[in-house]
Amino acid sequence: MEQTWPVAAEWVALALMASVLAIRIRISVALMEIFVGVLAGNFLGLTTMPWIDFLAGFGAIVLTFLAGAEIEPEVMKRYFKEAISIGVISFLAPFLGAMAYAYYVAGWTLQAAQIAGIALSTTSVAVVYAVMLETGLNNTPLGKTILAACFITDLGTVVALGILFANYNAWLAVFLGVTAVTLVILPRLSRWVFARAGNPVSEPEVKYVFLILFALGGLAAMARSEAVLPAYLVGLVLAGTFLDNKVLVQRMRSTAFSMLTPFYFIKAGLYVSLPAVLSGAGLIAILFLVKTGCKVVGVWPLARAFRFGRRENWYTTMLMSTGLTFGSISALFGLTHGYITQAQYTILVTVVIATAVVPTLIAQAFFQPSRGGAMGSAPAPEALGGTVPVRATEQASD
Amino acid sequence: MFRKILVAHDGSDGAQKAMAAAIDLASHYGAELSLISVIEELPKYAATLDEVQEVQAEAIRHYEAIQREASRQAAQRGVKAYDQILPGHEVQTIVEYAEQGGFDLLVVGRQGHSARWLKHLGSTSSQITFRAPCTVMVVA
Repeated sequence: MEQTWPVAAEWVALALMASVLAIRIRISVALMEIFVGVLAGNFLGLTTMPWIDFLAGFGAIVLTFLAGAEIEPEVMKRYFKEAISIGVISFLAPFLGAMAYAYYVAGWTLQAAQIAGIALSTTSVAVVYAVMLETGLNNTPLGKTILAACFITDLGTVVALGILFANYNAWLAVFLGVTAVTLVILPRLSRWVFARAGNPVSEPEVKYVFLILFALGGLAAMARSEAVLPAYLVGLVLAGTFLDNKVLVQRMRSTAFSMLTPFYFIKAGLYVSLPAVLSGAGLIAILFLVKTGCKVVGVWPLARAFRFGRRENWYTTMLMSTGLTFGSISALFGLTHGYITQAQYTILVTVVIATAVVPTLIAQAFFQPSRGGAMGSAPAPEALGGTVPVRATEQASD
Repeated sequence: MFRKILVAHDGSDGAQKAMAAAIDLASHYGAELSLISVIEELPKYAATLDEVQEVQAEAIRHYEAIQREASRQAAQRGVKAYDQILPGHEVQTIVEYAEQGGFDLLVVGRQGHSARWLKHLGSTSSQITFRAPCTVMVVA
């Protein structure tokens, strides 16, 4: 017990350092926390404790929940056909490709190869959104289609993570049944709860959401599934409800980013072994190319079929090749459950981080569409089922 | 001589001097005056949408305050100012906006907030001068 507070101080100091660095150099705090974790694990000998593992796990669950809750239901409905097509192939192609390479060429076990496939199938919604925000594409049909497709890709990732390693027994049936019923009644129940809770300082709405996440997460654990699966699904079904409860989302985000997700991301970085990065550099490069190549093979023809312009086509494909949060969650799941070794974990997380950076740089350097997506070779708005809205209004000041 | 003037404003001392010069010119020529502020602070490789949107919202609040004050100064000289806040790379965004808006004069301060980082690589004003599609006035 006497070690708890010094250890807590050590971890929070690292989290604070990551926050300060993130603000100074304008890199996301998540990436800085992973980086700080890498340094702490390799040079300070930092290790975890059970309560840190709990906070990290809780952080991953809340992070996944918030990711699901960020979807705009209306956008998904509007661009459903394009989003589901691109999203599914964007998940399936690298999942199968990376799994096949890891199993047949790299000689990994089947379960390790499955983890590789899942970790490298993801697309980072936040990375894609930030990139598109810089060109105003986030408000265009092209941008909204890409973002909607990202959610579908990540849905594929969490479903695969939750199903592939589960025990196919009564507990799985109970977990799936309870989750299905919960998802159906949750939107209406939640609106009722939020309407009656008011905004007291005791935060009953936040506790209500945590209760649902813990309960379904517990059932998932009993079935040897993964708690992030129900968390993402709960986020998706409550996304519409949260459109009217932005304050609640902000409070949950504050809780997550201040006390939970730092433990998760630092822990994720902790297990990255720098010697393994060096010795596995070749495989890292190959797996990076496998993921990106599979995304190109899967997404590019489909985007062309939806009559994206050449530049927009490559831009879409490169952005769909990015990944960060779900990739690291999948890899850490594999490590903590003993499906992959630390060396394999190191390789996968390094590839995941590389896919957050390199495709983004390529997309911005070579294929960036004109601002607003309304000029040059951008697809005609009617091809994507909508009009191109004005991104930022000009206000005359008197 | 000038019909549409664009001022890049990041709130720095240099930008405020540029704004004063632009107001003067707009008043003299009866030109339309526009302000542009570029949000460069968006976090790269974020984990959640919220992180990006929160930083963007904070940056917009910051630049809106700057532009309100600048517009007030313009109004005192009888000049109507149009505001624009855009995220992106500062040089690229300003140059593209100048081109798309058909501006014939772009006014920038010699040193902005980014100067201390770009001192050894060439300042923002130098890069804008090199790439702008119109006349550029650098105010020292």
